[in-house]
Amino acid sequence: MKRSILIQLAVLLLLILFTNLIHTESPGNYDEILGQAGGLKVDLTGDVKIFNSSPTDETPRRGGTLIKAESAEPENLNYYTSTSAAAKRFLDYIYEPLVNYDYTTWEYDRPILAKSFEISEDQKTYTFHLHENITWHDGKPLTSEDVLFSLKAIMNPYVDDAPLRAYYRNVVEARTPDKYTFIIRTSDTYFLNLEFMGGFAILPKHQWDPDGMLDRFGIEDLKNPQVFTNESDIKEWADTFNTNPLNRPAGMDAEKLIGSGAYKFHRWITGEYMMMVRNKNYWNTEKPHIPGFAEAAGYLDTIIVKSISDATAMLTALKAGDVDFLPRMRAIQYFEQTNTPDFLQKFQKVTFVVPAYSYVGWNNDRPYFRDKRVRQAMTMLIDRDAYNKYIGYDLGIPTIGPFYPFSPQYNDTIPRWPYDPERAVELLDEAGWTDHDGDGIRDKDGVPFKFIFSVSAGSRGSKLLALMMKEDLQKIGIVVGIRQLEWSVYVENLRDRQFDCVMLLWIGGLQSDPYQIWHSENIGNRGSNYIGFRDAEADSLIMAARYEMNAAKRDSMYRRFQEILHEEQPYTFMFYQRDPGAYDRAFKDVKWIPIRPGYNNVSWWRSSNEAQVGMAP
Amino acid sequence: MKQQKKSRSYLDIVKRQFSRNKLALYSLHVIYVLLFIFIFADFLANDKPLIMKYKGDYYAPVLREYGVEWLGMQWQDDFKTQQWKLLTNKFEEGDWAVWPVIPFGPNDYDLKRKLSPPNSTHLCGTDELGRDVLSQLIHGSRVSLLVGFVAVTIYVIIGMILGALAGFYGGWVDVIIQRLIEVMITFPRMFLIITIVAVVQTQSIVNIMIILGLTGWTGVARFTRGEFLKVKNEDYVTAAKALGFSDFRTIFRHVLPNTLTPVLVTATFGVAAAILIESGLSFLGFGAPPEQATWGSLLSSARDMLPSGWWLTTFPGLAIFITVTVYNLVGEGLRDALDPRLKQ
Repeated sequence: MKRSILIQLAVLLLLILFTNLIHTESPGNYDEILGQAGGLKVDLTGDVKIFNSSPTDETPRRGGTLIKAESAEPENLNYYTSTSAAAKRFLDYIYEPLVNYDYTTWEYDRPILAKSFEISEDQKTYTFHLHENITWHDGKPLTSEDVLFSLKAIMNPYVDDAPLRAYYRNVVEARTPDKYTFIIRTSDTYFLNLEFMGGFAILPKHQWDPDGMLDRFGIEDLKNPQVFTNESDIKEWADTFNTNPLNRPAGMDAEKLIGSGAYKFHRWITGEYMMMVRNKNYWNTEKPHIPGFAEAAGYLDTIIVKSISDATAMLTALKAGDVDFLPRMRAIQYFEQTNTPDFLQKFQKVTFVVPAYSYVGWNNDRPYFRDKRVRQAMTMLIDRDAYNKYIGYDLGIPTIGPFYPFSPQYNDTIPRWPYDPERAVELLDEAGWTDHDGDGIRDKDGVPFKFIFSVSAGSRGSKLLALMMKEDLQKIGIVVGIRQLEWSVYVENLRDRQFDCVMLLWIGGLQSDPYQIWHSENIGNRGSNYIGFRDAEADSLIMAARYEMNAAKRDSMYRRFQEILHEEQPYTFMFYQRDPGAYDRAFKDVKWIPIRPGYNNVSWWRSSNEAQVGMAP
Repeated sequence: MKQQKKSRSYLDIVKRQFSRNKLALYSLHVIYVLLFIFIFADFLANDKPLIMKYKGDYYAPVLREYGVEWLGMQWQDDFKTQQWKLLTNKFEEGDWAVWPVIPFGPNDYDLKRKLSPPNSTHLCGTDELGRDVLSQLIHGSRVSLLVGFVAVTIYVIIGMILGALAGFYGGWVDVIIQRLIEVMITFPRMFLIITIVAVVQTQSIVNIMIILGLTGWTGVARFTRGEFLKVKNEDYVTAAKALGFSDFRTIFRHVLPNTLTPVLVTATFGVAAAILIESGLSFLGFGAPPEQATWGSLLSSARDMLPSGWWLTTFPGLAIFITVTVYNLVGEGLRDALDPRLKQ
């Protein structure tokens, strides 16, 4: 043992001598800016509202199959009670709302089931006139009864859809004067009213309430505790709705979901795939299905969603031809593992916008983050551009606030806080966070500047940022701890406001209402303002904007609101997200929109020039 | 000549037997190297100079770090920012620094160098943050070996005490301890550990060591019990009893030392198993906290890159493989050396 140690010491000394003599700093080899790696970058900027990444002169043809891969499988397929985005992505082809986004204008006013609609003078009554020829997939007609039933299902207090139901609190009346007219009245002039009053998916009453248990009750009854606590039918129906076997129509002989959409539910094999087929008897054959986007109601005969949880397996499946479309790859796969000529010849790579932004949230009630100068300093200490470039492969779109950067709500006159550690240190000193007791850690009033960065176990990006911050902040006398938590625990801590610093993603829309996240009313009682942002002016702006129906006036309020947010820095706003994806070049008219999930397969069709790959799952 | 042979101690015999097994002997030397890395990790891979002359004064920053960490010392004002790499730019005439063999700390990141394959600067390449993989491996060896040794120490102590009690007293003590052992071994160990880790919430290697220690003692206990049953009717035990020694003294001073050797052999295998389990836990994300480089967590973060970055899986994988193998080989060598049937 002794001899062994001596030999090792001698070897070590020699090595040290050697490495110090020849030691040279070799230049970094990652300095070349990443290109688009043979892919297309979809920029939906307001001038370009729809992006077609596979345009063609050919006339679209019907037929063929699209197989896409997704990592998450929904836990259930009930449109109202399911919380998973995967369920909505699937069901949006099967069910239809009265009104939806007009992709060409980004306005929420394209009538679908409604032939037309009117909004009363006082902006509170919405009258929808339904098409008279709408049929469900089983041939039965769709009438205003189904619409009213769907609204009742959402508003039933016993249905497990509390987050959704919250948007219908202002409904005071809903009526069906005749089979094809639906009138809904609200108590306020909330600017997103049309989006909610006309935007819910319509479920068939004959499938979900065949006995008409809810017929006796009106909207008022469902809001009146005296009625709904006494009437057992309301609770009983809600229980059957929550636990209906139709919520998990899995297996070969499960009862099929009935919708009215361009695609029909076909099959769900748990852990394998979900499958839908084109509705050959779709009710609307006359006008363009989605103006400016798709002429026909679907060209593909079959759309299959395969569930593959592992990213590497997903890419392998794409390369092997088992899958045609990966909506969400890893950035490293997109930029480094799919650059062979063979791959690029067979597949088109695209990075497309999803309206969601990442941020670092500072708990404003913690002593060290209470001062806005400290929060500004924290923002200036994060090298966001380097993070975006090297960790995120330059996929992020920098943002200074919570709104989509290319929407009119966004204030593009505000410059981002720069990465400026020196100025940050000055701000920290100014705010009184200096090393008073000489232990190398900044402190103020006896509180050392030590905080915990909570990281969700599955999120790589936030873990890497936390590691970077730990290293960087240690150098200026701030101690960062990193705690990795399971998602359920993480969310629980968020709601209880038990955290110092988090990194998360908010999924938004083209238009969003900051009330839920930024109004001080939502700080306590487990609201979404869990970082505790309070600002009187911001509160009044949020409330005023909510009921301002004039878009220009509302947007100017939001611009001022963003100035406040920018100054206060309750969050460090990071980036709007771009997802990297790839699809088989056989597909044409592949169009992208800034509305989740970023694409709609209704416009896609398979070119006949390409060999048709047989698929029989 | 004859006398000399007689005076040779038991230890000498074991040593000679052991050194006949060349593979085990080499493995032992590899363990020495690992121990050396374990002890001197900070001097092998660090972003601070070992010794430096700066503005006319001499400093030893690596040693100083121990002082700062354990003795409440302070960094000198010039070094408060910890920008060691930039110090060389401020060097005056006659200043110099001696750097460690690997002049990178395990958490020293440099995004510009992310995912570099092995090269002359980074012998094992860099990871997705541009951290040196070799430096992480060296510091990760501390976690692995520490977990191995501490966990095994804990469970050997628990196992020996319980085994000794069961073997020495027999009767209902034996019955209870035996049933306890049986209950423990019916739990799949990895599963039990993951469950406990999930309940404990806070991530630290201390927890892992304790949990591994508390779940691993059954084998040692059975071994010790068996040895006790074998030995307890020997003359010297009877003599100890006859002399009126307390049970405590009889067990721990007279019987236990004679049952120790086979237990130590299993402990060697135990170290290997514990290292493997720790790597597995870190791989699953249940092990050490994120800022602590361990072999398992290195492998785990490499998995998401596959098939890019072969060096990220190869080197930690090799490290685990070699360590576990040498411990097993040494354990085997020890077992053979201690086996009286093989004595010539």
